Amino acid sequence: MAVERLFKDEATEEKGDRARMASFVGAMAIADLVKTTLGPKGMDKILQSTGRGRTVTVTNDGATILKSLHIDNPAAKVLIDISKVQDDEVGDGTTSVVVLAGELLREAEKLVNQKIHPMTIIAGYRMAAECARNALLLKAKDNKEDSEKFRSDLMKIAMTTLSSKILSQDKEHFAKLAVNAVLRLKGSTNLESIQIIKKAGGSLIDSFLDEGFILDKKIGIGQPKRIENAKILVANTAMDTDKVKIYGARVRVDSMAKVAEIEVAEKEKMREKVQKIIAHGINCFVNRQLIYNFPEELFADAGVLAIEHADFDGIERLALVTGGDIASTFDNPESVKLGHCKLIEEIMIGEDKLIHFSGVEMGQACTIVLRGASSHVLDEAERSLHDALCVLSQTVNDSRVLLGGGWPEMIMSKEVDELARKTPGKKSHAIEAFSRALQAIPTIIADNAGLDSAELISQLRAEHHKDTSNCGIDVISGGVGDMEKLGISEAFKVKQAVLLSATEAAEMILRVDEIITCAPRRREDRM
Amino acid sequence: MAAASSVTAAPRGASSKTESYVDTKRRDDVRQANILAARAVADAVRTSLGPKGMDKMIASANGEVIITNDGATILNKMEVLQPAAKMLVDLSRSQDAAAGDGTTTVVVLAGSLLRSSLSLLSAGVHPTAVSDALHRLSLRAVDVLHGMAIPLDLSDRDALVKSAATSLNSKVVSQYSSLLAPLAVDAVLSVVDPAHPDLVDLRDVKIVKKLGGTVDDTELVKGLVFDKKVSHSAGGPTHVENAKIAVIQFQISPPKTDIEQSIVVSDYTQMDRILREERNYILGMVKKIKATGCNVLLIQKSILRDAVTDLSLHYLAKAKILVIKDVERDEIEFITKTLNCLPIANIEHFREDKLGFANCVEEVSVGDGKIVKITGIKDMGRTTTVLVRGSNQLVIDEAERSLHDALCVVRCLVNKKFLIAGGGAPEIEMSRQLGAWAKELLGMESYCIKEFAEAMEVIPYTLAENAGLNPIAIVTELRNRHAQGEINTGINVRKGQITNILEENVVQPLLVSTSAITLATECVRMILKIDDIITVR
Repeated sequence: MAVERLFKDEATEEKGDRARMASFVGAMAIADLVKTTLGPKGMDKILQSTGRGRTVTVTNDGATILKSLHIDNPAAKVLIDISKVQDDEVGDGTTSVVVLAGELLREAEKLVNQKIHPMTIIAGYRMAAECARNALLLKAKDNKEDSEKFRSDLMKIAMTTLSSKILSQDKEHFAKLAVNAVLRLKGSTNLESIQIIKKAGGSLIDSFLDEGFILDKKIGIGQPKRIENAKILVANTAMDTDKVKIYGARVRVDSMAKVAEIEVAEKEKMREKVQKIIAHGINCFVNRQLIYNFPEELFADAGVLAIEHADFDGIERLALVTGGDIASTFDNPESVKLGHCKLIEEIMIGEDKLIHFSGVEMGQACTIVLRGASSHVLDEAERSLHDALCVLSQTVNDSRVLLGGGWPEMIMSKEVDELARKTPGKKSHAIEAFSRALQAIPTIIADNAGLDSAELISQLRAEHHKDTSNCGIDVISGGVGDMEKLGISEAFKVKQAVLLSATEAAEMILRVDEIITCAPRRREDRM
Repeated sequence: MAAASSVTAAPRGASSKTESYVDTKRRDDVRQANILAARAVADAVRTSLGPKGMDKMIASANGEVIITNDGATILNKMEVLQPAAKMLVDLSRSQDAAAGDGTTTVVVLAGSLLRSSLSLLSAGVHPTAVSDALHRLSLRAVDVLHGMAIPLDLSDRDALVKSAATSLNSKVVSQYSSLLAPLAVDAVLSVVDPAHPDLVDLRDVKIVKKLGGTVDDTELVKGLVFDKKVSHSAGGPTHVENAKIAVIQFQISPPKTDIEQSIVVSDYTQMDRILREERNYILGMVKKIKATGCNVLLIQKSILRDAVTDLSLHYLAKAKILVIKDVERDEIEFITKTLNCLPIANIEHFREDKLGFANCVEEVSVGDGKIVKITGIKDMGRTTTVLVRGSNQLVIDEAERSLHDALCVVRCLVNKKFLIAGGGAPEIEMSRQLGAWAKELLGMESYCIKEFAEAMEVIPYTLAENAGLNPIAIVTELRNRHAQGEINTGINVRKGQITNILEENVVQPLLVSTSAITLATECVRMILKIDDIITVR
């Protein structure tokens, strides 16, 4: 093995078998690393940061784990990339895709050792992937017409996704949250308008979906705490007088009175600005920058609710959901689009006071408030919920659904096996290998749950030999079960993406026969 | 390379159709290390549990010394590095946020549950099975607690005082619990908004610490207290009756522009004129203030320029206006809420309708320092100030922390109007009922729950141990009494025996117990599910 040579400082070159070996080992190491997080009984990992603060993250999300790794092996990087792409495209299945690619490479390694040319393997894999995809297409169900059924499909998908995460115990609650949130979007995949707020304290079951928008800020002193039919101006402008200055400018005067005059003039400028803002006919003003005491008082006098120092993300979202523009000049009140909402009020979550905007212009918007024991729980819950939201929003567009629990893999594996039997030539070995790699997924799910995988897989295969079987691994009872009855579903889009990108990644790594590591730039050693 | 090192070299996969052999050495090691580290944290705070618990002295890196009995504070200052240990620290912090009290209990409970999990794991139970059992256990335990709870009426002040006293009894300041408990109750009840009877914002209770005197001198002030002196270098008043108070956010000093400025002085007469102008300018401001009838000024601190100058103080003193300067900006909201006035950011806006009214504003000397008290405020907002006194800084700090716990306890009761017996009674009862439940279940779950039910006994065990009693004798007797249906018997630490704990007035809010059990199980489950520690950037 040539792994240790990868870390040399100087440029190195590895050829042929050695290069391939290095890629295989690196990719498989990555796959093995995340393997244990797969499935409903998968384990979590602690990510301990070596940077400042030594922050600790506890996660089950493949993409998060892989994203944070230090990796030098180029093949391993390819796998990390596909998991990232999977995360961006469909949001879930980030672990599955890496594990499948790892298994494909593991099988390929054996074939290479049997003196089968990588190109033959690639050709076989391609045929197999095509065949597997067709098998999935045939089996996928589409319930788009029947909205009742479609909703229950979504619930099932959400629950399946969440069951492998920290939220598994309260999955029904969260699945409902996620489905409601996504259905509000009415088909758009813009998850921006679903805001997730994390507040420590309480327990996960206390999390709730709120229609409207919540801003984690305070209302200025002496201003109304409740506004109905609010007209909101969202702005990014300097409301602190010290910043109203021209760099390097200075005034020379010869008397104190003149200084006072200038001060008054400055105040007057600010007052003008505030008056211009108020002239928009607003009763709520949200600014990204600080609002100083003076303008704050002016707003209070005018009965306008002013919120200062809203974070960037916050105001962009607020502008989006209330349907307003972010303004920075206030000379043309008619050209600025104001945001609207029915009610602004102060609410209390846990120990903190937040500002709640309800009845917002964009009906799709909603906020999910997560409660949990600690920041670790909350962060992980957010990641899990995000996965579920991604998958659901994809499913709303592409409503084809598959069963879960290793069922699609077994279906594919059966079809691919058929193909292998029909195909003459060396390629059939590769096709067979592909089928074995597919079976590895249910195997790992069973292993992680502490079940006897060899036994279960053979049972599953026997079941699937009959036509139209709905069998998969029932992790809860520890046997083979009917996935349809158990309500375990997955989105077709996720499975298809897993299959295609894993195959592509494996193919790419297989093609490599030489690795050239460039000499690193001279810098202090990081390790 | 983390990735390469973590590869367990067991060659397996779909093709191995023989034995299912999995090499889990590393995962078990990681889990064990996590559990041990977390338990070490729990053991560190164990001895501070209960009324006879000991205190810890913490010397921080910058030489500061803290003596405390508060679990959350101890853990916060411990600076642990091990990730799982850190999770326990977070656990106590969340208990602090959720209930405010029981921060030690929750950690000790988690430690004990971890100990049981370890023995379950080594018996070959799969971690997820343990974790699922824990979840069911926590739901059931909360039911048990609800079954034991006694509903409470907020008008029943005695009951509130009792539970605040229970919380205070375990602190350094326990001998003052008869003083502090009613104080905490009054403080919280006075800020409850009748419109939202379930919500209490503890930020409406301000705690002012002042060195000198003893904790006995701690008092609840119906009004405002500033830990500041009145600015009277120019001989201004220190006592004002029928005060009209203005909170101002501008400064009474020579003008300063935002644009950089300089005054060019070319001859001697000009200098005179500038001085005169300055005097006129300030005099003009003071006159405007005086014209509204204002006689007390609270001036917000400014980093840009002096809040007041000697000159302005002089004029203000002549106008018989009492001045308090350097009020922090974040205090302004509390002050305006209390005084029922509006902050004034510009001299032009100085109007009478923005002022607050109080019967008396006076400077009082306490110990070696002075404070300003504002009492008899007209239309006072729903806020309260507590003036904490103590003979040294350590005592004051600890008193403040204890008072905060007591306030939280009362707040919990306002949120969730149920009481539960203290003194280890709920834990023993949970242990008994869950143990009985375990016998009805089948399989792995039953085995795990039985183990965890026993783990709950750690609380009474530790209470007894810390009180110097024989823990085994006490716990077994408690079990016996509970089995006979006396569900409210607990450890009476003062008498050193087992009695009906309700009669001893040892009660605590239900919320503290339920949140302790749910948070502890949630945290333990999280630790159990971890099978690897990966070092990342």
